[in-house]
Amino acid sequence: MLEPETWVENYADMLYRYTLVRVKDPDVADELVQVTFFAALKSQHTFAGKSTEKTWLFGILKHKIMDHFRSAKKNINLDITDADADRIQFDLAGHMTPSPNNWNVDPEKASENKELAQVLAKCMNGLSEKFHRLFVLKEIEGLSSEEICKEFNVKPTNLWVMLHRARNQLKLCMESNWLTKE
Amino acid sequence: MSLLMSIFKMTCKDVYPLISEEMDHSLSFSRRVRLKMHLAICNLCHVYSKQLQMLRNLARNLGKENSQAIEKKTLSPDTKEKLQKYIKEKI
Repeated sequence: MLEPETWVENYADMLYRYTLVRVKDPDVADELVQVTFFAALKSQHTFAGKSTEKTWLFGILKHKIMDHFRSAKKNINLDITDADADRIQFDLAGHMTPSPNNWNVDPEKASENKELAQVLAKCMNGLSEKFHRLFVLKEIEGLSSEEICKEFNVKPTNLWVMLHRARNQLKLCMESNWLTKE
Repeated sequence: MSLLMSIFKMTCKDVYPLISEEMDHSLSFSRRVRLKMHLAICNLCHVYSKQLQMLRNLARNLGKENSQAIEKKTLSPDTKEKLQKYIKEKI
């Protein structure tokens, strides 16, 4: 049973946050939530009651987000440019500097660490549009490299290089925002 | 002998892109062996590898429907009002 009059109160923020993790621009996230509600109202008859209202709304949103990624691919150049250079430094002996550490967290429990996730969200916002998109597709949406390359016309070697550099930027950002806060 | 030489001569700088790459596709046998050998003797790269794994796990959690990480962000009141009005008209 759908209760559209309760949707805004119950789901709007939840849907918005889910979107905001995936698209950098808050205006775009706002718009995607709106089109989700519009589409949901129009297709109420397709709700079979097999899932919950929440799951059904999220299903519509997920389609809208992927549609947005597909239609926006014309606007994002996914080639490697000079600005994408790796930011990790090495000393003369070929060792990473500064030395990586375990971020003072148990790696097994890190994913449940809410504060660390907040720092990641902040750091992701610092990525270029291109790196953000690729990181989201790979690590948040969980698409395979093959799917990303095919859908977004990226060469596999370029994808690996860019994901590597995006991860490095995030790692450095995590270190400067997390470890130095004490 | 030359394989052994190439394994031990590899610096972190040579090896570390493989750590990320292995998260995105399966490496060829020889590259996989070189990576594993290096990780076995290099603590820094081992820690770096854990960091990337933590990034992946954190990202997955951040992307969940019920993620609490950015709970302070809310849809603008204007948009909410607009949506509520629209819904009222349509039902």
